[in-house]
Amino acid sequence: MRRTMVFAKRNLIEVFRDPLSWIFCIAFPIVMLIIMSIVNSTIPKEAGNTMFRIDNLAGGIAVFGQMFIMLFTAIAVAKDRSGAFLTRLYSSPMKSSDFVWGYILPMLLTAVIQVCISLTASVVISLISDYSLSIAGLLLTAAAVIPSALMFSAIGFLFGTFFNEKAAPGICSIIISLGSMLGGIWFDVEGVGGIMLKIGRCMPFLYATRVARSAISLDLGVKEFLIPLGVVVIAAAVLTVLASIVFKSRMHADQR
Amino acid sequence: MGYAIRTENLIKRYKDKTAVDGLTLSVEEGELIALLGVNGAGKTTTVKMLTCLTKPSGGKAEIMGIDISADPDGVKRLVGVSPQDTSVAENLTVKENLEFMTGIYLPADRTEAVVSRAIESFGLGEFSNKKAKLLSGGYKRKLSIAMAIIGEPKVLFLDEPTLGLDVLARRQLWREIEALKKDMTIVLTTHYMEEAQALADRIVIMNEGSVMAVGTLDELENMTGKKGLEDVFVSIAERME
Repeated sequence: MRRTMVFAKRNLIEVFRDPLSWIFCIAFPIVMLIIMSIVNSTIPKEAGNTMFRIDNLAGGIAVFGQMFIMLFTAIAVAKDRSGAFLTRLYSSPMKSSDFVWGYILPMLLTAVIQVCISLTASVVISLISDYSLSIAGLLLTAAAVIPSALMFSAIGFLFGTFFNEKAAPGICSIIISLGSMLGGIWFDVEGVGGIMLKIGRCMPFLYATRVARSAISLDLGVKEFLIPLGVVVIAAAVLTVLASIVFKSRMHADQR
Repeated sequence: MGYAIRTENLIKRYKDKTAVDGLTLSVEEGELIALLGVNGAGKTTTVKMLTCLTKPSGGKAEIMGIDISADPDGVKRLVGVSPQDTSVAENLTVKENLEFMTGIYLPADRTEAVVSRAIESFGLGEFSNKKAKLLSGGYKRKLSIAMAIIGEPKVLFLDEPTLGLDVLARRQLWREIEALKKDMTIVLTTHYMEEAQALADRIVIMNEGSVMAVGTLDELENMTGKKGLEDVFVSIAERME
């Protein structure tokens, strides 16, 4: 446990000292929140489009920001693998579980901080736009998106283990684009229906967005909240176990 | 005094290439041994096997009496490694890098004392709060070695520790390595003759995965009838061709 925490601390420092993490994990989601709120203010009420209203947007942006956690996890793992730093650590008494949680825990903490900041920004925007957000809903959202933060960290860990420093960010960018579209962050996938909805339902992103939006509006029904939350929790657990297995086998493969 | 390292017919094969071919070697506790050879001689692969970074394809090896194949975790607690490429956490300061490595090997209550001692003995004081990525090549190597010894290993492996350093930085690092000799067994790989000559108690000359000769400089000179390690090395290499 001590080795996990020591390694997690090192990774947390690396993330916090990289200006790109601040730009992509904190600043970019807030900029998107502001831009989409401005877009929302230009949509006539008669259009009946509530996609970018702050209660919908806040949940979507919370999940959108977490996708960058995936990107940074992938970069951190791939970068360490490409250099001799991991070689040094492989020859130390660290176990594969120390590596897995040492990478994932700081990313989870970063995700929690990121969500808190973006939800706080949402409160400010809601006050300006004269649309009230429930504080209980916001607090619930901050907790309810932790499983999706774990899921995205695990996906990033998996990509960082599979791909090199150059390929991993590219793959993650594709997932960010696909995930934000099929996850219903920028448009109503369920309203569009058809093949988009079918594909969306096969991926965990749509459920992650639904959990966040339902939590904000305190819509805690089985279909609206509990089932999507269950899907995200299962996806997070499966992906974390898968990432651990893949990393362990890579670690052993490197030692052949 | 016992043996820190014993290998018997140690082999490493990669598909159709044999990187190390039947290495048999004994290193006494407290000895500094240099593995000398050109690129591809099998020096780094030997270090990788002895530090449990890669599994042997055959043969046997023990570190302080512990079998590297049977108990790699036990071996990992006893060895320190400074890999060929400088392996430091670039965004961490010198002090943070040392604290990190201490945290992996030693209890928390020893961190402060051990880190302060390492900073002092490697002359890293003025850079202790500087990020590792901003250090010169020589100081990065010093930090890398300090990180390798901070866990108080019984056997230290230094893989090409002065590769790419200028002559002054190299000489300075030699002094640091000399100072470590009394505390631990050291295996150093190098292809610099003068480095092996200056630091090693015994020299192992390797070529294409095999040991060509082992001995002190005097013994190798007597064996070949040549003076100086460079001539000894050339003589042994020519004999093989």
